[in-house]
Amino acid sequence: MRLVKEPGSARSGFRDWYLQRLSAVVLAVLLPLPFVVLILVYAGVVDQFGLLDIVDHFVSRLLHTILIFALIIHAYMGLKVMIEDYVPAIGWRVSLIGGMLVMMSGFGIWWMAIIWAWGG
Amino acid sequence: MSEMIKLSVFRYDPEKDDKPFMQAYEVPLSGSGMKLLDALNYIKWKLDGTLTYRRSCGEGVCGSDGLNINGINGLACITPIAGLKQPIHVRPLPGMEVIRDLVVDMDHFFDQYRQIQPWLKTTTPVPEHERLQTPGQRAELDGQYECILCGCCTTSCPSWWWNGDRFLGPATLLQANRWIVDSRDEAMGERLDQLEDAFRLYRCHQIMNCMEACPKDLNPTAAIDNIKRKILARKS
Repeated sequence: MRLVKEPGSARSGFRDWYLQRLSAVVLAVLLPLPFVVLILVYAGVVDQFGLLDIVDHFVSRLLHTILIFALIIHAYMGLKVMIEDYVPAIGWRVSLIGGMLVMMSGFGIWWMAIIWAWGG
Repeated sequence: MSEMIKLSVFRYDPEKDDKPFMQAYEVPLSGSGMKLLDALNYIKWKLDGTLTYRRSCGEGVCGSDGLNINGINGLACITPIAGLKQPIHVRPLPGMEVIRDLVVDMDHFFDQYRQIQPWLKTTTPVPEHERLQTPGQRAELDGQYECILCGCCTTSCPSWWWNGDRFLGPATLLQANRWIVDSRDEAMGERLDQLEDAFRLYRCHQIMNCMEACPKDLNPTAAIDNIKRKILARKS
C-alpha cells in the first residue's frame, strides 16, 4: 500500500502575497514623484537650489525612505518567488534567497545613509 | 476512397524503449462529427493494438482521456478532428510520469486531491431530513462542482510543473473552493488553514493556462482568487 506523507500547511504565504501587493501600491504612488521632479528640473521650473531644497526637506526624505523600503520589499518578494520557481534544490534556494536578502539589505542601508546624510 | 487523417502519436514503453518517439498513423475520416478518440480507437482496433491510452465514457464526463493535443490539453472524446492542424500531434498530459504511451501516472494528482478532504465536513448535528440550501447558495456551486478531475488544467500549469510536489494545482484548488463556498460545509476555517501556504496555494501566478485548458469551461484561476480573498478577509 502506498503511503502518503502529508506535511501539512506551513501557514505562510499570505504575508508575502500581501506585502507584494501593498508594496506595489506604494510604488505606484511614490515612484512617479522623482520623475516629476526631474521633469520640473529639465523644464527649468526648478533650479539646482530648488532641487536641493526639495530633496533635503524632511517630508521628501521620509517619502524617499518609504519608496526605497517598498522597492526592496517588492523586488525581494518577486525575486524570491522566481528563485523558488526555477531553483528546485532547497540548499541552493536558501543560499540564493539569503544572499539576495543580504545584498538588498546592504543596498537599503547604503541608500538610507545617503538620504539621511549619516556621517554628516 | 475516404479522406485520410494524419496523426503523430507519442509512443513509449519503459520496458522496451530507451526513449520516447512519435509514430505516424493515417486514419480514414469517418464523418463530420468524428472525434480524436475515434481516431485513436481506429488505430487501436484496426492498425496497432499495442497503442495504449485511457478511455471510458466517450462523452466528456469521466475525464479519462485527457491528452495533449497539438500542444493544448483536452479530452480526446470531445475534441473534433475537424479544425485540428495535421498531422495531429497527440502526447500524454505534460508534467506527469508516463506509464506507457499516452497513459500517465495520476497517483500524485489524486493524492493532492485527497489532501483537501473533498467531502462535506460539519459540526452541527445531522438534521432529520437534509441540509437545505437556498437557490442562491446552490448557485454558488455552479462552476465549481462540474470538475471531472481529468487533470488537463493542472498539467497545463507551469507552476505545477515547477513545484508540483507542493503546489496543489488548479484542479485541486478548484475543488477546495467548491467546499469553501458550499453553505452546508462548516469547516471553512480549517480548510483555509490547510491552504494558507506559500506553495500549496500562493504558487499560483495567475498564468491562466488552466482556464484555457479546461474542457468543461471552468475557471480555476477565479476559484484560487476566491480562496485568496477569503484568507485576506479573515486577516484584515
